[in-house]
Amino acid sequence: MLQPTDQNKLKEEPFVSPVEADEEESIGPMQRCVLFNLDRETYGIDVSSIREVLRVGRIRTVPGADEKILGVINVRGVIVTVVDMRRMIDVPVSDITDRSRIIIVELDEERPVGLLVDNVMEVRDIPEKRIEPLGSSQEDNSRYIQGIAHYMDKVIILVDVFNLISDAE
Amino acid sequence: MDEEILQDFLVEAQDLLEQLNEQLVDLEQAPDDSDLLNAIFRAFHTIKGGAGFIGIKPLVEVCHRAENVFDKIRNGEMAYTPEVADVILKVYDTIQAIIERLAEGERDIEDDAVDPDLLKELDALFGGEGPAQEEASQQEAGDSAESSAAAEVQLDLPPDWDPDEEITDEEFEMLLKMREEKLAQTQQQGGEAAGGEVKLELPEGWDPDEEITDEEFEALLKMREEKLQQASSSGSEEQAAASAQPAGSVPAQQPEEKKDMAAKPAEKPAEKKPAAKSADSGKSEAGKGAAAHQPKQESTVRVDTKRLDEIMNLVGELVLVRNRLLTLRNGTEVDIEEISNAVSNLDHVTTDLQASVMKTRMQPVKKVFGRFPRVVRDLARKLGKEIELELRGEDTDLDKNLVEALADPLVHLVRNSVDHGIEPPEERVKAGKPRVGKIILAAEQEGDHILLSITDDGRGMDPEKLKRKAIEKGLIDEMTAQQMSDKEAFELIMAPGFSTAETISDISGRGVGMDVVKSMITRLNGSIEIDSVLGEGTQIKIRVPLTLAILPTLMVAFGDDSYSIPLTSVQEIFDYDPAHTNRIDGQMMVQLRERSIPLYFLKKWLAPDLAPAEDREENDKVVIVNVGGQRIGLVVEQVRGQEEVVIKPLGVMLQKLAGYAGATITGNGSIALILDLPGVLQRYQNMQQKGGYHVAAH
Repeated sequence: MLQPTDQNKLKEEPFVSPVEADEEESIGPMQRCVLFNLDRETYGIDVSSIREVLRVGRIRTVPGADEKILGVINVRGVIVTVVDMRRMIDVPVSDITDRSRIIIVELDEERPVGLLVDNVMEVRDIPEKRIEPLGSSQEDNSRYIQGIAHYMDKVIILVDVFNLISDAE
Repeated sequence: MDEEILQDFLVEAQDLLEQLNEQLVDLEQAPDDSDLLNAIFRAFHTIKGGAGFIGIKPLVEVCHRAENVFDKIRNGEMAYTPEVADVILKVYDTIQAIIERLAEGERDIEDDAVDPDLLKELDALFGGEGPAQEEASQQEAGDSAESSAAAEVQLDLPPDWDPDEEITDEEFEMLLKMREEKLAQTQQQGGEAAGGEVKLELPEGWDPDEEITDEEFEALLKMREEKLQQASSSGSEEQAAASAQPAGSVPAQQPEEKKDMAAKPAEKPAEKKPAAKSADSGKSEAGKGAAAHQPKQESTVRVDTKRLDEIMNLVGELVLVRNRLLTLRNGTEVDIEEISNAVSNLDHVTTDLQASVMKTRMQPVKKVFGRFPRVVRDLARKLGKEIELELRGEDTDLDKNLVEALADPLVHLVRNSVDHGIEPPEERVKAGKPRVGKIILAAEQEGDHILLSITDDGRGMDPEKLKRKAIEKGLIDEMTAQQMSDKEAFELIMAPGFSTAETISDISGRGVGMDVVKSMITRLNGSIEIDSVLGEGTQIKIRVPLTLAILPTLMVAFGDDSYSIPLTSVQEIFDYDPAHTNRIDGQMMVQLRERSIPLYFLKKWLAPDLAPAEDREENDKVVIVNVGGQRIGLVVEQVRGQEEVVIKPLGVMLQKLAGYAGATITGNGSIALILDLPGVLQRYQNMQQKGGYHVAAH
């Protein structure tokens, strides 16, 4: 994403103010993410894999399914599985509140999945150079994590949707 | 190879093959039907043309030879005898196999895709000119001088040979062999016989990699045609003279042949070309397999343009209704009457639209039936039986998916009828029946179901024998056997591991068949019913829903959660009364008209946490369902009534979950889960094995 300030940036001297440092980073390739909360952490998912964000309506439970799966919802005639992100990432389960949302992500047209999260905050561009891949600790849950970004005084955990869904299948 | 042209070719070839399959078997019944002969000739010709253009040489070769044979037949130079038919049907299988491979994305069809023996057989049929003529056509293109020498094969006929007399099979074999030897000699002198492709003189500046226009394509085809014609006409005079000899006696022989077959049907297949048989049987078996398994998934469907216009029109209506509703919403006053008009209009349009869209998915059951004349013919010939197959209700429309899904079970059932049902002719005569057995394959619409029936007038089944067998195999015990009705006894043949064949033939009787058939039909929400009278025949009835997409169901519920049970399986519903149940071997059973039916308490699985409603006056209900012949009682909290539902797949991660066939959206917008009864049954059986059920059932 090129910002309007790009032209100026190129002429700048090596000395840069903290504000400009942020702007400088915006020159590089960006990953646009939807940020949401789980427990006390902030997570991000690449917008390209998100179809929509829904308020939580009635979730139909499917007896006998894995406990990570809350049930199914009707998204305009398509039955979509909803998984509890807290259980996926292994943080303590909490009740659904007014702020809870279901993020519908999809790998391709055919396979949408709903992720229940505590709340959805905003859409933000994160410079790719700020994203650190997670160390190769082969723990189960880290498979879902694409990397961690320290950006704008936040620690953002980026979720790898592909691994998340295909592992669960 | 241009992918687009190839795809067009495949579609065309598949259509032609489908027709050919029927036509070839019909031809055996009416060998003189010139329209039919022409149609078959054209079909081979068209496939050859296309194959030649996209450069599939083996296909060209085999089609070319078949075409030659049919050319002779339609010119009255030879007859379409069952022997010829065997070879031609093998050709059909070969072509089918190659087309299938192409359709699956294979692009390199090597030359030996066509069995060289088959080509030789074809050449033999063609009466000696086959390979020589091919060669002639090759040389014709370059050097025409020597061609005629190679084309002629002089046979040394026995001195007492009379060309007008009928020849026996042995004589015929001998002649063929003689001819082959001769040919081999000639070919050694004349050089290798190359493939059937004709060299074309391409225009200057021709670029094989460039795309060509239709005109160019036509021109090329025509050029090729002419070449071929030249080549074959040069040989045709000699053919007419020389080749007519061995084959020429066949037309006279043909009616005789039929009587002959009738007279000694049992020995006939065994005696026929004993040498070739052992070598062939493996291949023809493989070919048959290919014929039975038509391409797995057909991805296109042909829709009448009129039908599309109809749909377009309805969609137009739908847009109008939407606009009206939008206008109504924006209006300040609420006019209930207007709204209800619009809604009832919407109701009409959607119903019509649904019906129209459904029709586009419908295909005549002929698509499945079409292959049976061939299946029956081949098997009957192999087993030395005489069987007439009658098809009824071929135009009955059926959902496309169903048409495909029904193919395999039906093939199995028909094979069973031929193999086990119909007796050999002598036995039939002895029993006072007509020697030709009859199998009727019928389809008809029965309300929202399709009824398919396979009826034979064969030996029928003996319920007592079936019971004994089942006891021997440990499938049931004596007590159960005594209680069984005849109908239930017949259903034993669908139990896993039950096969009635005394000896295992390669046609049926592997002991997997019927139970697989049963589970396939059950998967389609269908039912299967067997009726048989010993000595008179067997009838198998299959009922399947008209479509797989819309399912009539019974809605049941626990608390607020509703579940659908496919209505086809539901037999009756009554109040659950603990007084009429008892526990047998850890299993709760309900007494129903002197029969004990196992009870499954769905609550244990579907709603373990649901507290029983305090003020509920109604009892729980027992829904008796038939799952593949087995009756079980499902105990549910409420029965909500009947509802037609649109089946939707469950989402990601849930599709493999046992016990559900999918989900649906009910009238009030909530989701109901559709139960898959075989899966439910399995689930409970697993629970019982683990002992979990005992604990759960307190």
